[in-house]
Amino acid sequence: MTKEAKKPFRQSVAEWRQFVYNPDSGEFLGRTAKSWGLILLFYLVFYGFLAALFTFTMWVMLQTLSSDIPKYRDRISSPGLMISPKPDTALEFYFNKSDANSYAQYVSTLKKFLESYDDSKQSENINCTPGKVFDQNDVADKKACRFNLSELGQCSGKEDKTFGYSKGTPCVLVKMNRIIGLKPEGEPYIQCTSKTAWGAVKAVEQGMVEINYFPPGGSIDLMYFPYYGKSLHAHYLQPLVAVQLAINSNSTNEEIAIECKILGSPNLKNEDDRDKFLGRIAFKVQMTE
Amino acid sequence: MKKEMDVDDHKLELPDLEAKYSTSITKGLVGAVAAERLLRDGPNELRPPRGTPECVKFGRQLAGGLQCLMWVAAAICLIAYGVQEGQGDRGSADNLYLAIALIAVVVVTGCFGYYQEFKSTNIIASFKNLVPQQATVIREGDKLQINANELVVGDLVEIKGGDRVPADIRIISAQGCKVDNSSLTGESEPQTRSPECTHDSPLETRNIAFFSTMCLEAGPHPDTQASPAGTATGLVINTGDRTIIGRIASLASGVENEKTPIAIEIEHFVDIIAGLAIFFGATFFVVAMVIGYPFLRAMVFFMAIVVAYVPEGLLATVTVCLSLTAKRLARKNCVVKNLEAVETLGSTSVICSDKTGTLTQNRMTVAHLWFDNQIHTADTTEDQSGQSFDQSSETWTLLSRVVTLCNRAQFKAGQENIPVAKREVIGDASETALLKFAEVTVGTVSEARGRFPKVAELPFNSTNKFQLSVHAAGDRQLLVLKGAPERVLERCSTVMIKGQELPLDAQWREAFEGAYADLGGRGERVLGFCARWLPAGTVAAGTDPEALPEVAVGLCFAGLVAMIDPPRATVPRAVLKCRTAGIRVIMVTGDHPITAKAIAAAVGIISEGSETPEDVAARLRVPLEQVDPRQARARVVTGAELAGMEPGVLEGILRAHPEMVFARTSPQQKLVIVESCQRLGAIVAVTGDGVNDSPALKRADIGVAMGIAGSDAAKNAADMILLDDNFASIVTGVEQGRLIFDNLKKSIAYTLTKNIPELTPYLIYITASVPLPLGCITILFIELCTDIFPSVSLAYERAESDIMHLKPRNPRRDRLVNEPLAAYSYFQIGAIQSFAGFTDYFVAMAQEGWWPLLCLGLRPRWEDTHEQELQDSYGQQWTFEQRRYQQYTCYTVFFISIEMCQIADVLIRKTRRLSLLQQGLFRNHILVIAIVFQVSIGCFLCYCPGMPNIFNFMPIRFQWWFVPMPFGLLILIYDEIRKLGVRRHPGSWWDRELYY
Repeated sequence: MTKEAKKPFRQSVAEWRQFVYNPDSGEFLGRTAKSWGLILLFYLVFYGFLAALFTFTMWVMLQTLSSDIPKYRDRISSPGLMISPKPDTALEFYFNKSDANSYAQYVSTLKKFLESYDDSKQSENINCTPGKVFDQNDVADKKACRFNLSELGQCSGKEDKTFGYSKGTPCVLVKMNRIIGLKPEGEPYIQCTSKTAWGAVKAVEQGMVEINYFPPGGSIDLMYFPYYGKSLHAHYLQPLVAVQLAINSNSTNEEIAIECKILGSPNLKNEDDRDKFLGRIAFKVQMTE
Repeated sequence: MKKEMDVDDHKLELPDLEAKYSTSITKGLVGAVAAERLLRDGPNELRPPRGTPECVKFGRQLAGGLQCLMWVAAAICLIAYGVQEGQGDRGSADNLYLAIALIAVVVVTGCFGYYQEFKSTNIIASFKNLVPQQATVIREGDKLQINANELVVGDLVEIKGGDRVPADIRIISAQGCKVDNSSLTGESEPQTRSPECTHDSPLETRNIAFFSTMCLEAGPHPDTQASPAGTATGLVINTGDRTIIGRIASLASGVENEKTPIAIEIEHFVDIIAGLAIFFGATFFVVAMVIGYPFLRAMVFFMAIVVAYVPEGLLATVTVCLSLTAKRLARKNCVVKNLEAVETLGSTSVICSDKTGTLTQNRMTVAHLWFDNQIHTADTTEDQSGQSFDQSSETWTLLSRVVTLCNRAQFKAGQENIPVAKREVIGDASETALLKFAEVTVGTVSEARGRFPKVAELPFNSTNKFQLSVHAAGDRQLLVLKGAPERVLERCSTVMIKGQELPLDAQWREAFEGAYADLGGRGERVLGFCARWLPAGTVAAGTDPEALPEVAVGLCFAGLVAMIDPPRATVPRAVLKCRTAGIRVIMVTGDHPITAKAIAAAVGIISEGSETPEDVAARLRVPLEQVDPRQARARVVTGAELAGMEPGVLEGILRAHPEMVFARTSPQQKLVIVESCQRLGAIVAVTGDGVNDSPALKRADIGVAMGIAGSDAAKNAADMILLDDNFASIVTGVEQGRLIFDNLKKSIAYTLTKNIPELTPYLIYITASVPLPLGCITILFIELCTDIFPSVSLAYERAESDIMHLKPRNPRRDRLVNEPLAAYSYFQIGAIQSFAGFTDYFVAMAQEGWWPLLCLGLRPRWEDTHEQELQDSYGQQWTFEQRRYQQYTCYTVFFISIEMCQIADVLIRKTRRLSLLQQGLFRNHILVIAIVFQVSIGCFLCYCPGMPNIFNFMPIRFQWWFVPMPFGLLILIYDEIRKLGVRRHPGSWWDRELYY
């Protein structure tokens, strides 16, 4: 006896049709209406119960959570660095200093970003003691420290509304990601160097660009730490460091690669193998005329 | 294929034969002609069938249903990797790893399967070994030694004792030549070969010796001293594949190997799973495209769903479970060649068993004695420890003396310390039986023979049908004679009753006839014994043996001894067990119908009170034709009746009579019987030992060959080998086969369950755009690492009920994977596991700062590699890399959730019906170890340094291990409720929907 001969196509179609709807027994997909009703009711109850259990568990879990402070901060022991303005795709600035349109977006981003640092918005903020972490653990009403825009000097947007882009001295604001409870040690400051890994030349050393920091030395004051979370610390402002790149007029059209790192603090990482944004950031600037 | 042999050479006269093969029976062939014929017919050897090339076999292993899906998945991964790499995206090496992992999985499981297949099969190899190395051939009048494979039709060959017959030969002359045809016909008695044609059938006639059968060494006392022992000359009539054995070989290899039931089951559900995987994948591919994902992403989703849904470890699990059972069986003397056969035995509903050696001990043994007008029963157990009958009578003294002296068999030297039953003996089967019987009952035979030295003897021959010897006994001589009872009685004038010699009158003759008929009716071989005291010197030493019968008259009849090849002690219980297990045992033998019926009745194949139509006819005193077949439960069918049957009649008989015995059957008929059973929907196991059995063994759903008596061809055609040739071992096999079917069901249910919690993360990921809760690599770890051992450990689970009291499963109805099993695993337990996973996932996310509602729809920003300051629910900002590790944390948490629930799952799978407490929670130690192992692997993966960047496992917080535990508990409780309902309300809606 060899393998059964293949059923003719018509027969298998008929079998399928029979399976989908069998008029003799009133079966639809192998079950009668009553059978379907019962089984669907069963699953309705079953899943209803599971969903209720799930919702209940979620509710209990949310009850145990504080709305102020996350339970754990296992993955964010050290902050990332970021810049503003941030080009859309890659961190590459291309602009023509004589064409306002080419940098309009950067300027507007910076303006918008600095709006929250405007003095009028900081009326409730207090002046803190510089150089010391501002511990408010015992205070219910957490105060935010004032960050004076004037500290950003030429990059504050007050004197130069184009943040230096029109003069060939573009400003980039460097900031540290907010992490609740983070207290940097030492005297952290931002320092930028030429980034050579992308095959670029040593722009700073060759005098293609001169870097100025505001506040001076790129320092980040400890008084802005720690952060207490967005609900407790509503008016909190991250300290900023403005990096002004004074591009040599001989070096227009050159691609300049810069890497900024946070230094001077033993508990802020800046050399992670995998995370290229942990305590550092690299970007490119290319200015044309 | 199935037609009988059409050889007529045995009927031809020698001159005709010479003419037919244009040869000479004195000088043989001319060398040139021989060379020409060799060229024409090819060498005299069995041609192995064209096997499948090894690479094709291996390729097949890589191209199964699931494997193909995996290949597609791997290809999609590679394409995705290539495209992403082309776009300069550096973070996409994951896809490459996944592709490599998938390919590795397919190749490794393929190698595994190939190795399993490689170990089994290859039927023809042993037929090759049957070919003799050298043959003595006469060509052009000269005797030559040539390689047997150079023999051609018409060659004149000589064979002698100890040779294998080099081709099918027609005997031209022979002296005391006997061949052992057992490998061909199953008959264990050596067959005399002589030049006369004695039968129409070429298989039965004496003048043909068959290729590969053994020409026996002559016994210790050749019948005729003058001629050299055991030689023959013959003409080659068939060579190579055209010989009888070659035809059987091609018959065996022509029988297509049927798929085993378990293979059909596995194929059945692999198809379903592959279909569902493609269905799910395609659905969500479309959904993803509609939602607006790019094509490549949608393809990757498709791939991920396939990976999540396909149970990668399942085939390996099944194979390991089967090989564990195979190992267990091997310890009980069943060696399984083809792993799947393990389960086949469990589904078996009919066993066609050979008689000799399987049901019986394959050893003639004295079963009954008749003396003092009474039938005494002798001990026929394997060890023959003691005898139960009354030995005080003087008649017994005489009878035992005749038995001892009138016997030419003797023990081989140096066996004093071996139990009598196991000693080797030189001599034929009946004499061996008598020798051993005498040794056990009356003590050392050689000593008794020493006291009565032999003076003269006449060996047994077929004309006289008796054998006699005369012994010196002090001042007298003792003449002892044994032989066919009627011939013995002719020579007797008195009969000894309780030590008294009484005249042999009509009354005693009638008593004798009654006893003879009785014993004969039991299928036993009966011999009569008598003796007479003679004065010393009546027979002188060296008297012509032919003169002895003249002296042997007026003897005193001592008694009858009946011998049989007795059933093995364990067989009746085993047959009974088969009956309670709903398995029908059919005897198929080449032996005589009466013997076959007697043994069948003795072992319970024909149960007590069952009658054959012949019995019914005898009881009702009506002609056989008038007997209603329904009145007769049993039936004995002979090969001759079978040959005359119309097709389809046999099925009717098999249906009408539950207890069947087939006697005097040929190899082809055995095949016909097996096929008829299969047409009735039965799954048939066949036992056999000879080459003649190999087609039936091959055709059977499971062929069982005998390890001791079995020929290599039988062993090769079989799926299983019984090392102890014992039928009872088959029953063990059945039990194990049924157990493994149940346990495989449990293993598969366990394995399938987790596919749902592996699949749902992707479904939610695609539809709700949450950060991915579970990665593909993690899924592969669950499938192939942590969950393999627990699923295998279920193979060690004890049976829930007495599985040997259930009917065999119906292969069409009782599937391995049925609808309730899939529904319960997927939609109920799997659903609970998914909820557990998502609970743990949301807990881990929320506790790290990402609240559930924020997670919904977060995916595009979460996966944006340029987003380095994504805000969580507390206003903290995360870099991409930090989010990635958080994602790995989620993978790990989800992984642990599945593991925790799978522990509950493996516990509930221990039973399908009984409560866990009834089964014993910790009685399966392997399962407990497996759980410990599973947890240890989980810990290792979580907490071993370096894991995050290699396999995407993160060290997770301790308390996240506990989040899924309530769900595990829920699984346990829910399943107990299910089982309670199933037990309490059999046949109810609950039972139908939830019992798998």
